[in-house]
Amino acid sequence: MTEVLLVASVRPNLGVLADTVRKFNALGARVHLAGIFQLDAEGVPEELAQVELASAHQLPRTLRHRSQAVRRRLGKAPRGLRNWTQVRGDSWLRSHGRKADVLVALDVAAVYTVWRLAEYNRTAAAKFGLAPALKAVEELKAQGGPTARRSTVLPPLSAVARDVKRSVDRLPAQLVRTVTPRPLMRSGVGARLWRSAVTAPGVPIRVRAATSRYVAEGMQWAGRTSGAALTLGDAASKIPDLQLRADLYYEGVMQELKKGISPRQLGKAVAAQLANADALFAGGKTDDAAEALNRALFLHFHRVLHIDQLSSPLATDAEGFVAPLHRSKAFQALSRPRGRKAPAAPAPTDRPLRLLVATSANDNFLHLIKEHFAGHPGVELRYLDLAANKHLKRISWAAPRMLKDRLAGDTSDYQEEVERLMRPHLDWADTLFLEWAAGPAGMLTTIDPGDTRIVVRLHSYEAFTRWPHMTDFSRIDDMVFVAPHVKDLTASLVPTLRGEQAPRFHLIDNAMDLSGFNRSKPAEARFSLGLVGISQVAKDPKWALDVLERVRKHDDRYRLLLVGGDMDPKTSQATKHYLNEFEELLAPLEESGAVVRLGATDDVPSKLVEIGTILSSSVREGCHVGLMEGAASGAVPVVRDWPFYAGKPNSARTLYPEGWVVASPAEAAERILKITATEESWRAAGELAADHALSVWDWPVVQKHFEKLFLGEERSG
Amino acid sequence: MRETANQFVKVGWDVTVVNIARESWELDSGIDLSLLDQVDPRVKIVELPLSRDDLETDIRLFDEARALDPNGWVAKLRKRQTKTFPEPNFGEWRGDLEEAVLRIHQEHPADLLLASCVPYVNLAAAWKLWEEAKVPYAVDFRDGWSIDVIDGVEAFARDSAEGVWEQKILDDAVSLWVVNDPIAEHYRARYPEHAHRVHVVRNGYDADSAPGRSHSPDAESGLVFGYLGTVNFTVPHLETVLNAWRAARAKEPLLANARFELRGHLGNGATRGANRHAEVFKAAEADGVFFGGPAAKAEVSSIYARWDAMVLILIGGRFVTSGKVYEYMATGLPIVSAHAVEHDASNVLRGHPLWTGAPGLDEAGLTESFIKAAHMAVETSDEEHAEAMAHADQFTREALMSVAVKNLVEELAK
Repeated sequence: MTEVLLVASVRPNLGVLADTVRKFNALGARVHLAGIFQLDAEGVPEELAQVELASAHQLPRTLRHRSQAVRRRLGKAPRGLRNWTQVRGDSWLRSHGRKADVLVALDVAAVYTVWRLAEYNRTAAAKFGLAPALKAVEELKAQGGPTARRSTVLPPLSAVARDVKRSVDRLPAQLVRTVTPRPLMRSGVGARLWRSAVTAPGVPIRVRAATSRYVAEGMQWAGRTSGAALTLGDAASKIPDLQLRADLYYEGVMQELKKGISPRQLGKAVAAQLANADALFAGGKTDDAAEALNRALFLHFHRVLHIDQLSSPLATDAEGFVAPLHRSKAFQALSRPRGRKAPAAPAPTDRPLRLLVATSANDNFLHLIKEHFAGHPGVELRYLDLAANKHLKRISWAAPRMLKDRLAGDTSDYQEEVERLMRPHLDWADTLFLEWAAGPAGMLTTIDPGDTRIVVRLHSYEAFTRWPHMTDFSRIDDMVFVAPHVKDLTASLVPTLRGEQAPRFHLIDNAMDLSGFNRSKPAEARFSLGLVGISQVAKDPKWALDVLERVRKHDDRYRLLLVGGDMDPKTSQATKHYLNEFEELLAPLEESGAVVRLGATDDVPSKLVEIGTILSSSVREGCHVGLMEGAASGAVPVVRDWPFYAGKPNSARTLYPEGWVVASPAEAAERILKITATEESWRAAGELAADHALSVWDWPVVQKHFEKLFLGEERSG
Repeated sequence: MRETANQFVKVGWDVTVVNIARESWELDSGIDLSLLDQVDPRVKIVELPLSRDDLETDIRLFDEARALDPNGWVAKLRKRQTKTFPEPNFGEWRGDLEEAVLRIHQEHPADLLLASCVPYVNLAAAWKLWEEAKVPYAVDFRDGWSIDVIDGVEAFARDSAEGVWEQKILDDAVSLWVVNDPIAEHYRARYPEHAHRVHVVRNGYDADSAPGRSHSPDAESGLVFGYLGTVNFTVPHLETVLNAWRAARAKEPLLANARFELRGHLGNGATRGANRHAEVFKAAEADGVFFGGPAAKAEVSSIYARWDAMVLILIGGRFVTSGKVYEYMATGLPIVSAHAVEHDASNVLRGHPLWTGAPGLDEAGLTESFIKAAHMAVETSDEEHAEAMAHADQFTREALMSVAVKNLVEELAK
């Protein structure tokens, strides 16, 4: 039986198709149709029923299941490539594509899909159009039907080994693909062989690049993500063309990042982008240089490296990690402080201070501040949510435009747009308080703020992003940090924060209303450990499970209450991996009742009533609000010495009172067992913790710091 | 071309025909190998491995760029091809054709090269042999080059690349053949200095394609109207004809169960047999319309014998004749003209006793033509059919080409 696979991106004329399929069937062929067009559109199912197909399959119709970056990149790509990207992962298509004797594209936009399928099924005829396909089936019939080919499709490995190095430079792409099929790439030998081939000396640049891409693709199909990345990287290392070299490294590391893997060749990939950016910048091609720099920063601060896993290169050697950036001329142009023409005017004395509080959507830590200053006689408050206005939102996170503007010497239309949109706000405000030192900080410092005082608060995560590197701190008057270790880390990354033009630094705790937390706890809460907030990998709840298991070895009355929403596996592959592992550990514990998931809640104080020991299991924190609220509730705090900062001059140990912080799960278990040994000791420790929390972190205390910050010594309080 | 070659052999010439490979014709709209049977065995055929890259349908032969954007790739290809010779799709054949004629001449010196167009790139080969070896040449221009026969306007300016080539070629050509008087007039007016070398050589028809017997329609089982020829007319043109057909069937009881059968090549390359026309045919099946695909030369006379009337669907206007008109006339069947009123086919058909006249592409007029033809088909006597067939006798290809070849040989001898 001859198998024919038709691929159609647009709806073919089904009447004509029915006639032709009858002819195929008469020749003893079974016909399958894979459609990118809508198979269940009005009238189509009825017409399809008249076509004597062996099967009809709906292929993905959009790229919606792909990332935004992919969709953006493919926006201007040929239709054929977009279609292939859309359908390549479809298992039905792959399976039928492999089994087909004749692959047929019914329209131009389906040609590339058939071309690619033909690379993985090397004996099938690949035709464009029904008449040529029919002829191919006739020819197969004349030959006595399709040959038993599938077992013999692989070239002998020895043949590949012999020929590969000397001939790779002459191999047309198609041939390269035919010898890099999935089964071969699944074997370690095949994969290694090809990796060495792409670095063979004397290969022309374009051939080397093309070959490495094909080999990488084969490895991807074989599930060897890192092999694919290494192949591209190996080839890149032999390519003198800066752009191509940077592109190949980028493609390689992106394959790993997409899978949630920290790329081995990240440093090289970033260096290649920077070298390219520098060359382009030196040649006056500032826009292209900005693109390269954008990619460098994107890779260097990718969330897989810093946010979605339990460590970060910034935790081990922050200055070393950013040093390559600072050596780049293009980056130097970006980070050159431009200062401001006029200093910030002093707060007015004859009228209330005009305070503009701005954020982009996230106002989690602003409520008390807004509430307080809205009713403050010395302040006229305005609030600006940059995400609520589409124009402001567009400029707030426009990294490539910011970079282009900076490299072009502040002359782009971005500059004008920020002026137009932000100047009225700056003209009104005496002080602008920007929450989060992220995209909007880069945007805001694109322009000279005039005589408006600029205050920016950096919590924690921003230090692990590109944004501080795209912010001109010489245009910021005051930086507010929530903890000293975050200040240290940020200052170590950005030279402007250490120089003469650095803003003033303030350490002010997060604004928290802790008054409602101090409620009496029932006796059985002594055996309840609690963790508030588990929605990010950095919270590392597995650490808490470890602690729980240790204490339960001594007394199985201990249990763990988890408060807050779960991680979203869609955030990234790395998050998904972590979540899967966590869920696996959690399942039996939850079943036995050792762990209780309380889920997301608006009423944390009530949940804390049940919790006798509050944990901070995170690998990094700015200040751990959940822990501080727990302490205020009278739960005993047990804080992991956050590994990102452990051993540094400032860390969890300097942020919290002596004794709260532990070095390991074992030490944590020891502290818990010791303090909760009796109800008396547990309650005493809880009271101490609550006293500390309320006297240091409660809003009546913290609000004074904010008043002083905005209004100065004289007018505050 | 076949008849021309045969006629040259007949008058004692050694004839070599340079052609492209059979597979390449297959890539185009298809090939009828039975036509080769009628080539005089003394004619030598040299097949060159040339093909139209734009029509390639084997995806395995595509490079990645072409697979990604087949239309864009072909557009670039066409642009590139015109650099070699100003003719998309064929321009790059120039080198091979030139080399082939030089080689053939070297092996077996030629006294005359007859270049048949299209493609026009054949002219480059004629010019090469003239330039290098001063072998005289004639041009069988068929529909001409500098006249757009469909729209009846100048196809290109004199100072364009094509214009320069045409002038150069005509300056030294022994003779120039075109298929009808309007085209001849165009050339005589454009190149008055060469007017005497411009000759009308009509297409004519093959005598063996005519059914050659009297006709007996069977109205009870349904009259059959036929069209045989490449489907080269536009979809709106086809739709006009089919609408008229439907209207006539609804109006005329004689046509109530009539069928309209179309045979011929449809589309080329990837769209062969499956273009928009195919959809229109498919949709018209309920109205007794049937598209039966290409017909081999050997089948032609038997196909005509089954039909009761002919539908002559032609593109263009006064500059177009088309070979079909002669063959249709020779069937002796009533002819419905579905083409512009001012069309050279009208000139040829004038005086034909079973012609319904040319109402133009007018639905109502065509409806009446179908009805008239239906009546002619059942009401005409055998004698009238015979008379109609005789009207075509003057246009047998053999008769026309023997004169043309004789004249050319004489011209060469001058």
